[in-house]
Amino acid sequence: MVNIIEMPEITSPTIANQPAPSPEPGVERAMIEIEDVDFSYGTHQVLHDVSLSVPARAVTAFIGPSGCGKTTLLRCLNRMNDLIDGAQITKGSIRIEGTDINASSVDVVDLRRRVGMVFQKSNPFPKSIYDNVAYGLRIAGVTKRSLIDEAVEKSLRSAALWEEVKDRLHVSGYGLSGGQQQRLCIARALAVEPEIVLMDEPCSALDPIATAKVEELIRQLKEQYTIVIVTHNMQQAGRCSDRTAFFYLGRLIEVDDTAKIFSNPGQRQTEEYITGRFG
Amino acid sequence: MEGVADLQTLIPPRTTSRRVQAAIEQGIKAFFGGNALVAIIVLALITIFLFREGFGFFGQNLTNLRLYRQAGLEYVDIIRDVSTQHEALSRKLSDIRLQEARAMEKRSVPVEEINATLAPFDQFASAFGDTAENLRTLVSDLTDQASALKESLYARAELAAQRAQLERSGALAAAEKIAVPAVDRATALATLHQGAATFESVSAEMTATLYTLLAQAPPLPDAAEQKTFDQWKTRTREYLAGLPKASENLRTWSAETPIPWYRSISSFLFGRDWVTASFWQDWYGIVPLLVGSILVSIVALFFAVPLGVASAIYVSEIASVHEKRFIKPYIEFISAIPSVVLGFFGIAVVGQFIRAASQSPWFKWISFFPISERLNIFTAGCLLALMAVPTIFTLAEDALRNVPRGFKEASYALGANRLQTIARVLVPASLSGIVSAILLGLGRVIGETMVVLLCAGNRIAIPDFSQGLGAIFQPVHTMTGIIAQEMGEVVRGSTHYRALFMVGLVLFTITLGINYLAQKLVARYRMSIG
Repeated sequence: MVNIIEMPEITSPTIANQPAPSPEPGVERAMIEIEDVDFSYGTHQVLHDVSLSVPARAVTAFIGPSGCGKTTLLRCLNRMNDLIDGAQITKGSIRIEGTDINASSVDVVDLRRRVGMVFQKSNPFPKSIYDNVAYGLRIAGVTKRSLIDEAVEKSLRSAALWEEVKDRLHVSGYGLSGGQQQRLCIARALAVEPEIVLMDEPCSALDPIATAKVEELIRQLKEQYTIVIVTHNMQQAGRCSDRTAFFYLGRLIEVDDTAKIFSNPGQRQTEEYITGRFG
Repeated sequence: MEGVADLQTLIPPRTTSRRVQAAIEQGIKAFFGGNALVAIIVLALITIFLFREGFGFFGQNLTNLRLYRQAGLEYVDIIRDVSTQHEALSRKLSDIRLQEARAMEKRSVPVEEINATLAPFDQFASAFGDTAENLRTLVSDLTDQASALKESLYARAELAAQRAQLERSGALAAAEKIAVPAVDRATALATLHQGAATFESVSAEMTATLYTLLAQAPPLPDAAEQKTFDQWKTRTREYLAGLPKASENLRTWSAETPIPWYRSISSFLFGRDWVTASFWQDWYGIVPLLVGSILVSIVALFFAVPLGVASAIYVSEIASVHEKRFIKPYIEFISAIPSVVLGFFGIAVVGQFIRAASQSPWFKWISFFPISERLNIFTAGCLLALMAVPTIFTLAEDALRNVPRGFKEASYALGANRLQTIARVLVPASLSGIVSAILLGLGRVIGETMVVLLCAGNRIAIPDFSQGLGAIFQPVHTMTGIIAQEMGEVVRGSTHYRALFMVGLVLFTITLGINYLAQKLVARYRMSIG
């Protein structure tokens, strides 16, 4: 990471030479379309002119060194950045199935129900396993016990956690191991039946075995969900994503099929990053 | 290896010897340790002092209680009690008359007519009052006798104590000079005992007169007042039915029945009277003071908890940065107001305002309004709430702010709005922190002295709960208030002095318990979040 300073300045022509990514070649049906997005925290601009399409029912990985803006972009997709004072998109638009999510007509609560999120640090509520999973439904106004029971079981099964916790649904979520807690958070996100699931470095705090389980889960989930995952782990991106986007210093350097990025990247920085020469 | 060698040259060579270094470290350790030790020793000394001064109370109180029985004061009080009940009934009658007159006034009946209608009732009331004439005379005679006996017993005990002290110090000649008079307790008590016969005849006469009187009770024009009056009649009949029991008590009473040692403790903890410097008998019962303190605290928390917790939630979750910058220091500033200033404000403004408000026609629907006392539980509670708000606010805000950000984000990411996030995630997650904030606020309120001394009205009595919530508009005295007020005037070492220490000890125990509980909760809260 220290080497970043020594890297040659990225010249704007490199960026300008990027092909217009919308519609990107290789993306048949775009779920999310990000177009020319600039983003700032107050006066500090962290995203520059990012354009990207996220295909439906596939896993898209965002990679890049720390501080490159990949998490910021991820949090733009369900407007989590609204919670931060002064953070805003200053240019461009993000469309999900054709609707601009920052339009004033869009209800942020609805948006977040459609776009679920799993965080870097597992963060189950200090409630029982059952109540954790049921939370999203309850705040949405679902009161019928049988519906909630059903959804809890379904989500826990989807998150491959059901067999491990079915006998102790009413004990605290804190009694679970780190990997189980993260899968509980995934189950919680799935319970409201989102279309898109955003994952912000979901395995960064997990050991290799728990990581393998979560990765396996991600591969299964793409059958039903559109998944965007931010990761620091190159192998992880290679193992479980279909497309990979490489970010550097707030700019999208390259986005393509994962196989191509890892075997034959189009840009020099991408190659240097994934081969471990920096980052 | 090279790197290590380089590092060594960076560290300057040691200038002081190892021994000096160790000595300095020892000194620093001793300094901090010593300070901590001083604090602990002082606390221990205070506790020991409190206990030493306080526990002497029980022995002295026992002597006090024994004298009460031996001198026959208890005997007289049985009869006095009967007389007092009669007075209460009499007072109730005048209350009924007042209510009735008011009701008639409302129907715009002219004053003359009211008086004319109520004339039979007035006659009835005054006849009722007269029936206790003989009883009162009896009580006053017996009071004199018992007081005289108590005085002489007390004087004898004093002299005996002086003499014993002189003898112990070896001044036998001086001791001889002090003549301890013999007190003929048996004769005095026998005279007192004759009161039982008198009481029997007096009460029989009264019972007969009252039953005739009750049969001729005049009706009242208003149904509501008639109902109260009927209730009164039932109570009077019960009272008359209880008279033989009093006679029975008088006959079986004996000055020689021993008083068990635990009465000294139970009469303090459960005693309903706090009477000091009385010519008759001193009572040290903590109940009225305890009830006063508790009621004032309840009222204070009733206001302070919603205010403190709600503003904490507002500041930590809803307020903009500018609002935060304004609200937080402002609330915390309240705690900088000296309590005596607050008390002054309470007397001059809040008390006046509450009384004026209670007289306004808007509050006519409240049964116990208008209130007569400007300084009461409610006034003191309002001001104490003001003192508890900063404590509750600061600690609750801390607790809310310490809820991990992840909880909040997870909740929002699931589509929760702000209110749902606050109610379902943030408050439950910080609940034990908030509860401990409330407990510490309670500790502050119970221990507060100046405000209650100035604003609670300082009447030593258990509020009359028959009016329901109206009880909180009555004046009370509190544990802290009584210590502040009476400690300056008591004789050192007297029963009264020691009783005040006991009150202090009870207070100390309560606040200690509250603080302990609060700390336990905070520890649990840290664990559950951690």
